Amino acid sequence: MDIYLPIAEVSVNLFLILGLGLAVGFLSGMFGVGGGFLMTPILIFIGIPPAVAVATQTNQIVASSASGAIAHFRRKSLDLKMGLYLLAGGVVGSVGGVWLFSFLQATGQINLVISLCYVGFLGIIGGLMLVESATALWRRYRLGKTGITPRPRRRRRGIMDALPFKVRFPVSGLYISLIPVIGIGALVGLLAALMGVGGGFVMVPAMIYILRMPTSVVIGTSLFQILFVTALTTFLQASQNQTVDLVLAALLIVGGVIGAQFGARAGQRIRAEELRAALALMVLAVCLKLAFDLVSDPADMFELMETTGGAAS
Amino acid sequence: MMRVLALTAMALAGTAHAAPEDEIQPVGIVAALTQEVVEIRSNFTGADFLVYGAVTGLEEEDDIVVVVRGPQEDLRVMRKIRTLGIWMNRAPIAFEDIYGYYAVASTQALSQFATFSSLRREGIGMEHIRLSAPDHEREETRFGVDGVVVTELGAEIVDYRRAVVRNRAREGLYVESPGGVEILDGGLFRAGVRLPPVTPVGEYALDIYLFRDGVPIASRRTTLQVRKAGFEQAIYDFAHERAPLYGMIAVIIALIAGWSAAEIFRRR
Repeated sequence: MDIYLPIAEVSVNLFLILGLGLAVGFLSGMFGVGGGFLMTPILIFIGIPPAVAVATQTNQIVASSASGAIAHFRRKSLDLKMGLYLLAGGVVGSVGGVWLFSFLQATGQINLVISLCYVGFLGIIGGLMLVESATALWRRYRLGKTGITPRPRRRRRGIMDALPFKVRFPVSGLYISLIPVIGIGALVGLLAALMGVGGGFVMVPAMIYILRMPTSVVIGTSLFQILFVTALTTFLQASQNQTVDLVLAALLIVGGVIGAQFGARAGQRIRAEELRAALALMVLAVCLKLAFDLVSDPADMFELMETTGGAAS
Repeated sequence: MMRVLALTAMALAGTAHAAPEDEIQPVGIVAALTQEVVEIRSNFTGADFLVYGAVTGLEEEDDIVVVVRGPQEDLRVMRKIRTLGIWMNRAPIAFEDIYGYYAVASTQALSQFATFSSLRREGIGMEHIRLSAPDHEREETRFGVDGVVVTELGAEIVDYRRAVVRNRAREGLYVESPGGVEILDGGLFRAGVRLPPVTPVGEYALDIYLFRDGVPIASRRTTLQVRKAGFEQAIYDFAHERAPLYGMIAVIIALIAGWSAAEIFRRR
């Protein structure tokens, strides 16, 4: 059954979209990621205009991060102060990102920039995750054989401690500079606007490895920031670029939230290292596909772009 | 159906009054559509309709052409050029007033019965469709003729023009169907028109031309409207006319959906 999307102005198969929403929702629930980095490229592959795919996917992440954020609010497993500073950076990044999006659309480079961002980020994150989880798996294997626990490495004082504008974060037990906090928040806001992702895949590692936040509050805090940044980005994309498709968003949300709940249950039965290794492979697969499309000969050497806004009706 | 019968009657009346040989008969075209308004609703996957009508004074050697021209829009065409190993959109050319939809149906291949100049003048056929890039054009005097439009791009413009036609044809937006017009008895004709799912909204002009000895001797215009309707129209208007409110509602719907999903699954 086909359904016409009023903003994307294309017809898509209803069950295909619902099924994709479920599948990506399942994976995102299982791995605890937003799933935007999988869904946005898939939407573009099936013919949704990239601008609409990115903006509408941001709307879907509002829904998926809301259910997660609520659970963490109840358990109080988040650092609200840190979340607010990250959010302040996120607002700057999001506003700048939506503006940059409009500019790139006007110059015809938006598709290329979206692809390049995906290839770069997915390649780095996927690669790091794969190395990290492979090391963890190897360590567990060695531990099972010899019973020797490798000594954890001592934390060294670095550039992080030398930066000014230090603020105390009691929940995380940190006394750190605001510069990297705002910077990370801004980067995530920019990614939300340009790539239609929540940015958890950048923020979670950054919080652990750069800010050295305790793992117990990392997920809750990142969901808090993602929720508000994607809500703002959706609002800005809708009011500035008119690229949020409510019909498509509704389909994605329905598939996504249901899939995520089942995925979360399935995820509990698999061990963390295997899960991370599988996610890393998936991220790298999407990255390779996009990289291949950038360098392989295009089907048509020309591209048409409408320069007048949506046709008046 | 009533209209078809009425037209048939008119056409037959026309032939009945046909004067005997030698006298030149005035030609005229009447035409109608099976659908004058195409509404895009949630189940829209394209539309098919018929153009039908009658030609008075139709002769054996005459040919009929039906041209459908959709709403015009500005277009930017970019060429993909390999830069640092990746394909980048470069060298943009701005085209102005390009038809969002263009279909030509004729009784036989256009070149079989029409002269090059008449096709060019009327803009009939994929080779003659008007595709102008005014930024790169100027008027010159060539071969003693004033106001000849030339392009400073030279032969390259041909690649861009072909790219427009090719890309649009792939989506079913530019269609050429020689043999798509069927002539029935008594000067009656009909042609099928297919609008693809990506059909742009707006006013469409349908021109029916009667060709004799290589030139059009009569033509008739009728119009078609493609518009979004019902829920699709409401969403589209809402998104464009009250964009900030639309954005807020999109966020609220997502929040409610996320929250209720968390609640429903928590209880289980």
